[in-house]
Amino acid sequence: MRRKTHSRTLIVLTMAFALVAAACGDADEQTTETVIVEVEVPGETVVVEVEVPAEGELVTLVARCRAKPPIEDGRCNNLLRGVVEANTTLEADGDLRRVQVEIIQDNPDAGDYVTEFELASSTGDAPDIIVAAAINIGTWAASGIIADLTDLLGDYPEFDDITPSLWAAMELNGRRYGVLQDAEARPLYFRKDLLAELGWAQDEIDSLPARLASGEYTWEDMFDTAEEAVAAGVVDPGFGWWPRPKQGPMFLAWYYGAGGSILDDSGALVYDKAAAQIVYELVDDAADRGIILETRLDGDWDSWHNGVAYGNVLFWFGGSWQWAEWAELFLQDLGGEEYLFENVGFGPFPAIAAGANVPTTLTNPFAYMVSSDTEHLDLALLVISKATTKELNTEHAVTSGHLGILTSQADYEPYTNAVFLSEVAPILEFTTFQPNSPFFSAWTEAYYLGIAGVLSGDLTPEEAVDVVVDQLGNELGDNAIIVG
Amino acid sequence: MTQPSEKEALARAAVGAPGPQRRTLGRRVRSTVSAYGFLGPAMALVFVFFIAPGILLLILSFTDLSSANFNDPWNIIGFANFERLFTDPFFPKILRNTVFYVFTTLILFNLGLALVLALVTTSIPRRTGFFFRLVWLLPRLTPSVVYILMWRRIGQADPYGIYNQLFPEVLGASGGNLFLGGSPWTFVILTNGFIGASFGMIIFTSALESIPKDLLTAAKVDGASMWRIIRDIKLPLIKWPLLFIATYQTLSLLTSFEYILLLTDGGPGLFTTEVWALTAYKRAFASYAGNSQWAFGATWAIVLVTVALLLAAVYVKLFKFNELIEEPRIENL
Repeated sequence: MRRKTHSRTLIVLTMAFALVAAACGDADEQTTETVIVEVEVPGETVVVEVEVPAEGELVTLVARCRAKPPIEDGRCNNLLRGVVEANTTLEADGDLRRVQVEIIQDNPDAGDYVTEFELASSTGDAPDIIVAAAINIGTWAASGIIADLTDLLGDYPEFDDITPSLWAAMELNGRRYGVLQDAEARPLYFRKDLLAELGWAQDEIDSLPARLASGEYTWEDMFDTAEEAVAAGVVDPGFGWWPRPKQGPMFLAWYYGAGGSILDDSGALVYDKAAAQIVYELVDDAADRGIILETRLDGDWDSWHNGVAYGNVLFWFGGSWQWAEWAELFLQDLGGEEYLFENVGFGPFPAIAAGANVPTTLTNPFAYMVSSDTEHLDLALLVISKATTKELNTEHAVTSGHLGILTSQADYEPYTNAVFLSEVAPILEFTTFQPNSPFFSAWTEAYYLGIAGVLSGDLTPEEAVDVVVDQLGNELGDNAIIVG
Repeated sequence: MTQPSEKEALARAAVGAPGPQRRTLGRRVRSTVSAYGFLGPAMALVFVFFIAPGILLLILSFTDLSSANFNDPWNIIGFANFERLFTDPFFPKILRNTVFYVFTTLILFNLGLALVLALVTTSIPRRTGFFFRLVWLLPRLTPSVVYILMWRRIGQADPYGIYNQLFPEVLGASGGNLFLGGSPWTFVILTNGFIGASFGMIIFTSALESIPKDLLTAAKVDGASMWRIIRDIKLPLIKWPLLFIATYQTLSLLTSFEYILLLTDGGPGLFTTEVWALTAYKRAFASYAGNSQWAFGATWAIVLVTVALLLAAVYVKLFKFNELIEEPRIENL
């Protein structure tokens, strides 16, 4: 019996020793583990190799991007490309952590995308990084669902390269909550071929961008030209001038152009009735002249793109990123960008003679923001910093028609070689921003009601102002100041 | 006490006299327990998916919860949201739109077209009738987003919309944008109606098929016209399904918004096709610049739920639904 017990003890000890020896052997032989991350996005597969030290930790960051495939895929893919650099930095710093990024990238409606992040944040399921329009900072920073990055940004030298004036769009109450991802210009586009058909001389057409920028060619002139084009049969009735077909940042630029301001010194939102009425009167005038369809604000992007891309509309307000969309998605058969340069010109929004009388445009940059729920804020910023390089940002800018956000891109050849970006960038001289305020959402929706109501014929410009004032009072109470 | 004979019971029933109280306490308890046992799962579902959310909505409607403050503790603001709702400049228009949408769709399609389809498809050879009903059910079998996208492709402006491409100038529409742009209500009601009619059609068909054939044969032998047969025999005999569908579909239409959201988003113009449920959704979940007003959306929703409950009570009273669910007299003997 005792012998049997001894044998059992011996067997157990032998097995234990064998296991320990095996474990030690493994540790000696395997110092790192290579993890291959392969991510497929439409038209592209990005492969990233991550070597994790044996004692280290592989951290997976989830990044959520709203991007139109394939032209805006760089939004999230640049984060993936930044992973290698980020891990090199971690290794050099003696940090045993390694990072990989899992991306969720598609192109939902802006409102749905925003709601998704808010609801995910409320249940603790938010992605670590979200790429969203800067305008969301006002609400998200106020609710605390995105992290305050102000004190950390200085740790990443890459961020010093960001154009200083753009940081304003990342701020709420003097604190920074995002890192610029891209920026855009919103030009007035016009068809050169239709103007020529209308009888414009070539030098008149060629000089139009300069005349727009100098304020010489105004909204009134634009409407006159559009009306002439309709009367001459160059375009169909209702196809002389189009804004975007639904609510968006562009309409605020009109208000600025009409002399309106939106923030007072205390940071409260302002509704300038006089400026708003100028805007509503312009819309009313356009409808009366028959240069825009009364149903144009029907939210139908398909028919809008079709109208502007194929030369059915004389003037329209769009975005610089749409240049790439038209070239890539609509006009490939006709010659793509070459066709566009031949037939389409652009400049800032014209000056409104009755308003501030200066041309305008508006920039609504996209930003990387970090969820305040993330456990790896430093790693998230590290990856973002490695995606914020002139090489990666330029590739995204050129592909998607967005403007660069880095000072070093000004003399970076691949960027300066992009003709459209070079030509559209000066429009930023006239740019404006939307205010970062948790109350701006209600403000802009009320202001837009006036535009939609006047265009559809439901309201006169005067009634529109009254309706909007009522709506703002109901929605924002003392948080909106009515002036004018 | 001796049990009354079957003859006695029949005699009492014949003169309408009440029977003796025969149910013992034990039987009543058993009967009640088994009734609640059967009802239990359904009641649990109703509690989890209707009553509990309703209570949450009610509580939420007294707060100022929004995207901008949802990490803070709930701030109770009393009836401010209700005051804001009833003084909203567009409240009257949204209310009018909702009444118009619900009752036009209900009368023309969910009841009217459904009844016509049921009458027609039960009056033709059985297999043919079955085939046509199946065709009308196809939208129900299609995911609603796909269904709406198909309608959008019909009604969009030229050149995307098939209708506007083929008939750009019909009915005086300009710009080749008849449906979505020119007559959005027509489009919204047609889209909802075609899918809504199929539900009533199935219920009415089943009711019509269950009418004893000898009644119809006797009427024909007596020389009754088709219209007389429908008016005096078929319609009275399917009274309860008609009233049930009227009630059910009113409440269903009152809370439906997804088709309008996908078709017109409440536009074009100024709340042209905006209905109450859509406003509640937009307030709570849709905000271009990122500040969803969850509490205010909940206020719109809880008022809608209250209206729906009141309407249901009115329907129950008006249509005397208690007669439908009362025990047959023979059970009381």
